[in-house]
Amino acid sequence: MDKSTIICRCEEISYEEIEEVIGNGARTFDDIKRLTRCGMGPCQAKICTSLVAKVIHAETGKPFHEIPLPRMRMPLSPIKLETLATSSTSFSTVKSVLDEVELEDGKVR
Amino acid sequence: MHIKDHPVLGKQLQEPVTIYFNDQPYQAYQQQTVAAALIANDIKKFGVSRKNIQDRGLFCSRGRCCSCYMTVNGEDHVRTCMTRVEEGMEIYPNLEDPEVRRDGNGD
Amino acid sequence: METDVLIIGAGPAGLAAALETASRGLAVILIDESSSLGGQLPQQTQLIRPLPAEYGPVRGFELAEKLINQLEDYPINYLLKHRVVGLYADGSVGITDEENVFPIKAKKMIVATGAAERAVAFPKWTMPGIMTIGAAQTLINRDFALPGNEAVIIGSSDFAMDVALQLKSVGVNVKGIVEEQPEVTARDNVKIERVQQSGVPIYLNAAIIEAKGNGEVSEVVIEHAGRVLTEKVDLVCVDGGRSPILDLFYQLGCSFGYQEKLGGWIPQYNSNFQTDRENAFLAGNAAGVTSQGAILLTGMIAGISVCENLQAISQDEAQQIRGSLLKELEILEDKDVWESRIHHIESYANPKLKDQFIS
Repeated sequence: MDKSTIICRCEEISYEEIEEVIGNGARTFDDIKRLTRCGMGPCQAKICTSLVAKVIHAETGKPFHEIPLPRMRMPLSPIKLETLATSSTSFSTVKSVLDEVELEDGKVR
Repeated sequence: MHIKDHPVLGKQLQEPVTIYFNDQPYQAYQQQTVAAALIANDIKKFGVSRKNIQDRGLFCSRGRCCSCYMTVNGEDHVRTCMTRVEEGMEIYPNLEDPEVRRDGNGD
Repeated sequence: METDVLIIGAGPAGLAAALETASRGLAVILIDESSSLGGQLPQQTQLIRPLPAEYGPVRGFELAEKLINQLEDYPINYLLKHRVVGLYADGSVGITDEENVFPIKAKKMIVATGAAERAVAFPKWTMPGIMTIGAAQTLINRDFALPGNEAVIIGSSDFAMDVALQLKSVGVNVKGIVEEQPEVTARDNVKIERVQQSGVPIYLNAAIIEAKGNGEVSEVVIEHAGRVLTEKVDLVCVDGGRSPILDLFYQLGCSFGYQEKLGGWIPQYNSNFQTDRENAFLAGNAAGVTSQGAILLTGMIAGISVCENLQAISQDEAQQIRGSLLKELEILEDKDVWESRIHHIESYANPKLKDQFIS
């Protein structure tokens, strides 16, 4: 792979940058993440995990089953602070395809 | 281009809606995502990357890659591939980090 | 909100599991982040086979309709446009509808979150106009938007073959399929032949050197048989294969195993399709990337196992039904995929990756 190729498209980390930190001892996705910011963007490594594994494999020879998964954290996908901060004790009316969720005393029945 | 008559699924386009991109009106259809509606109107560049200012558009269309981020009806960083169009929607490209609005406390 | 069974993902596996559980009297909540049921199935316009005995060979969107209609008579709570954001300390699942976040406490959950496409990287792959084959299929078959006029496809799986034919059918000029390997990775010879007959060149032992463009892709440069080809395109569809979506399993503290033929890292589970987190079962592509028929069967197996666990059916009946479903799965699934699955299940007591919250 051409060394200028972007691996982490969110933070724009190139193959070359990852190769460099591997040269300095980085071995897992999380090592690489902490040294380059790879995986710290909005997608939180959803796209670059497999690409980084390929780079680790190419640069260290480690088989894929020895390259562990990155640490994954909540929230599982981007969410507004406003949504998280809502301290509503009743649920918003949920309109579903075949059912109406019924509210009783502001709570879902 | 909108696919008006699909070879297998037939005529599937629902109600037409007008959306605005950079203040210009464009034709879209009710069931389309914002990303799809823009692409059907030949608009592929949705924003730019933060560091190297490189063009970005739709990539995964599954709400995972966040490459399709745009400002929709005043809200920044909307995943346009997961958002359906609405009549009168105002869409702007994701050209820079949003300004953090500071309300209250005179900040 | 409380329920017997929380099924996460309303794709074919989730829908199949919903039938098994709801039809036996369990209270089921079926949740999906999309605004419609069916997962990726409604956008599959190709004929799908083989499928389990009770389904003939049908097109994806027809199968989706069948699966959804089967659930008509049961009081399932559908939560569309809802997604899982995390877990609470007591094991409740944190759900959001974008307005609020609230907990759902379920006795058992079936995680059927499916698989995601892997990226293919080459210089300037981040340009607009370069997307996954799944994205291209979604645009034409779900949103009815043409993604471009001149395309090249990188990768040659069965899925890529489907998308090549589907793009052609809506008028896209598919100028070539570029495959790194000496052979196409697709297995359906009928499909491969149809692509060849449609006039799409398939370049084997070929690599994409770079994409070019200003603002959006306008060219791809390919290396093939010692020559360098440049194709003018406004659409590049990449096929990097698919792998299970693991985020929720990771949060649950599940262990993982590695099986290349199933898409790489997969949550560890036993023959009941139960993970090593007692209340979490799984189904579909999340349990290993496989064919549509197999996906349905895994959904049924997970559903039966949950019924057994919640005593909606007897252990004997569950063993019997599950036994025959597993037999059918073995017949339906590609041999090497099935063998990988067996190896994976057999590693239940000793998974490859556990206690990974250390890094």
